[in-house]
Amino acid sequence: MTVTPEERNMEKENRLSSREQVRKTLSVCPVCLKQLPAEIVRTGSDCFLEKKCPEHGHFSAVVWRGNTPSFEEWSGLPPLSGPPSPDCPHACGLCAHHLRQTCCILLEVTDRCNLNCPVCYAESGGKKDGDPTVSALHEQFKKFVRDGNTFVHLSGGEPTVRDDLPEIVAAAKEAGCENIQLNTNGLRLGEERAFTKALADAGLSFVFLQFDGTEDAIYEKIRGKALLEKKKAAIAACSENLLGVTLVPTVIPGVNDHDIGGIIRFGLEGSPDIRGVHFQPVSYFGRYPKPPDDSDRITLPEVLRAIEAQTEGLVEVADFAPSCCDHPRCTFHGDFVVLPDALIKLTKPSETSTCCCDDTAHLKNRNFVSRRWKRTAESTEYEPGADYQDMDTFLKRVRTHGFTITAMAFQDAYTLDLERLRRCSLHVSRDGRTIPFCACYLSPA
Amino acid sequence: MAPNRSWKCAKCDKELVLKKMLFSYLGHTFSHEIMRCPTCGNGLIPKELAEGRMAEVEAQLEDK
Repeated sequence: MTVTPEERNMEKENRLSSREQVRKTLSVCPVCLKQLPAEIVRTGSDCFLEKKCPEHGHFSAVVWRGNTPSFEEWSGLPPLSGPPSPDCPHACGLCAHHLRQTCCILLEVTDRCNLNCPVCYAESGGKKDGDPTVSALHEQFKKFVRDGNTFVHLSGGEPTVRDDLPEIVAAAKEAGCENIQLNTNGLRLGEERAFTKALADAGLSFVFLQFDGTEDAIYEKIRGKALLEKKKAAIAACSENLLGVTLVPTVIPGVNDHDIGGIIRFGLEGSPDIRGVHFQPVSYFGRYPKPPDDSDRITLPEVLRAIEAQTEGLVEVADFAPSCCDHPRCTFHGDFVVLPDALIKLTKPSETSTCCCDDTAHLKNRNFVSRRWKRTAESTEYEPGADYQDMDTFLKRVRTHGFTITAMAFQDAYTLDLERLRRCSLHVSRDGRTIPFCACYLSPA
Repeated sequence: MAPNRSWKCAKCDKELVLKKMLFSYLGHTFSHEIMRCPTCGNGLIPKELAEGRMAEVEAQLEDK
């Protein structure tokens, strides 16, 4: 959608005349990244994060569109937990002011990549030093396990460019990592089946597959080339080796937001090989083509409403809840069991406004995702007419055909809300520090 | 629970029979056959069921 300068000015004037402050928080200047007071203001049914840098001026970015669900209904507006560190997020590693323990720890095993996407949070492309050795990574895995961090994401760059990736997986396994997730574009998994088998044999738990849509035109726009067949080949290779696959679309307005329902249908048809869909609304850090307008953003409630509209109600907004493991405005999740012609919905709408946050939230989340994202070797045969209220029948099906639809809204320098950041449980291990994901990849405009 | 052992309902003094019972947890309802009193409907939940399948259903429904 193109917005003319006149329309933009009119929108700004309308907003200024009907602003309502919803919440005070802290953010950073997108230019110099200095910590700044910020506020969330509502205009109509949309909420914006606004802040003013004495040096670089006023900034505003949309963070929540619409009232289904509403900002307050979804996040519950818990009381603020005192101020963050004065130098948050710049002195990160985790500090005493951080409010969540590590659920998953992400480790970059290479900076190299076999794609060159116009949008890449990690700015991958082989500009840095050589890859860390397997023995150096093994030492890191041992430290993770000593610290209780047994759920590791192997990331990059593109991890599969490393021929010794199976050795890295084996090193993680040997160190005691219980869940080893591979974040990948999947190209090599489909092209070299022996490589995929070697990863599975080494103890890989499951695969987070970059999967932006069900049309090649989408890949051509986001990744620069047609990749759908390669994605299907990757899924097939994982299936052969009982590696569960979760589809991970980066959702970009005007590029693939029309295909949200198509991606879910593709995922459901691929159950049990495909274990779920994890939407990531586009965020602007690392490498991106131009500074974003609000029209370049899609917020979590918009993704939820698109799911309901594009699946024609098969999946509804009410089937989702925020996660306790992170800030509610960072995530949603829905838990399902796939039947050939229907879904059993396990996440109850009553959970939406409640929160069970305590210091075990990260462990609950780990158990939840590892239970759903792993494939089992059990028979997946469907018995027509089976009674899924029967405990044994339900258990058999949920073990094999559990399916999650989840999302994580990453924050960039324009949208960063330190209240949210302090509740982040997805952490990156870098230079001996453990850093919340959005702080680690924060980059100036 | 010992196999082939007969149980009586303490309240009704009737021998228990194998019968379907409904269980609810977190808003979901499941059924399973257990030993129940034919008169009052009270059921006997054996340890293996409580610690086995019922515990697994709970775990599967536990949210993140």
